[in-house]
Amino acid sequence: MDKKKHADHIYIEALLKNDSRVLSKIYEKYSPKIVAMVKKNSGNADDAQDIIQEVLVTIYHQANEKNFILTCPFDAYFYLLCKRKWLNELKKRGNNRVTIVEEITSISEEQEQQVEETEIFEQQHQLFEKMFKELGQKCQELLKTTFKIKSMEKVAEILGVTYGYARKKKSQCMGQITKLVKNSNEFQQLKSY
Amino acid sequence: MKEDNYILFEKYLSNELTTEELDYFDLELSTNTYFKQEFEIYKSLNESLSSKFENEENETELRSTLTNLGKEFIKEEKKGKVISIKRLRPLMVAASIALLVGFFLFNNGNPVYSDFAKHNNLELVVRSENNSAISKAEEAFNTKNYKTAFAQLTVLESEFPNDIEIQLHKGICLLELDKYSQAETIFTNISNGTSAFKNKATWYKALTYLKQEQFENCSNTLQTIPKSADEYELAQKLLKKL
Repeated sequence: MDKKKHADHIYIEALLKNDSRVLSKIYEKYSPKIVAMVKKNSGNADDAQDIIQEVLVTIYHQANEKNFILTCPFDAYFYLLCKRKWLNELKKRGNNRVTIVEEITSISEEQEQQVEETEIFEQQHQLFEKMFKELGQKCQELLKTTFKIKSMEKVAEILGVTYGYARKKKSQCMGQITKLVKNSNEFQQLKSY
Repeated sequence: MKEDNYILFEKYLSNELTTEELDYFDLELSTNTYFKQEFEIYKSLNESLSSKFENEENETELRSTLTNLGKEFIKEEKKGKVISIKRLRPLMVAASIALLVGFFLFNNGNPVYSDFAKHNNLELVVRSENNSAISKAEEAFNTKNYKTAFAQLTVLESEFPNDIEIQLHKGICLLELDKYSQAETIFTNISNGTSAFKNKATWYKALTYLKQEQFENCSNTLQTIPKSADEYELAQKLLKKL
């Protein structure tokens, strides 16, 4: 790990540990600014709450899966993620000409990079979830079981099949979803990063 | 893409490739971009889905924590200035303590003269040729203009030197004007006499002490008021507070 953890990495750890005491600090310190930004841009407090929660859950996934290390202050990183997410939400609602009323926030290159990293992670995560739902019911069940149980031997035992057969079935289902992802529009966009 | 390749990916990711298979895999990966791209997607999917399903319960728990925090820190802003009960609790406790202290003081504090100095209206029995002095005295006394009342009563006293009622009310005026020793002398004289105003004078003597916060003298004086007196009930009430 060559990246240097910022002191605010405690918030990432708090997400992983579900530490409500530390997490409450995020809400106490950073949410008022985000609520104000959302309210100023045709949203309400409920919208702000949803945006904040979704961003935090995304960071949680990124930390779990990619061992995400926060190397910059949490404040601007978190605010920018929420702002961009709200911008996307407004676009989804058909509000096409949105420009967020912006107070000047200076952003370092490093912060910008971390924000982008999280955003790309999120897009990929969402794409995978969407494609997973497009799989047949049997594949969905099989993959769920194999990932939850982890041990392929046990999965085979539960399904009453041989180990080789279970592994083959899993690889087939994974192959299907791989193709789905590869052929999706979203993947083409993601690739350009 | 051949389905065989997916099995190859699967075996690679679970470290189950033979040396031969591994050689083939490495070669493909470095020369075949198509193979490489599919493997990268396969690997990412494997990581993502395994993390997703492994942490499904944790995610649910995290979401519930976040929802609660959101309610606590964000909803209240939406309602404006409403402060959550949780945050008000210290204030509420402080307020109820203040209330309790107040109640305590009120019950245990010393009685105050003004709570008991409710003078009946003056309607002098005596009638004289100098009616204007009588009415002036009555009017002044009843409107709490004790200085004027005292002056008018003094005029009347020279006319009716033995009228106890006039003397008593002169005493009340003096008491209101904080001329305690003069008031006390008058009340003592009447109190030691045998007139109809005897007990009333004793009561006012007690009030004179009360106003000066001489609680012991007040209490001793009150105890001399007999049960039969009109002032007895009031006296007992005041005694309880002393």
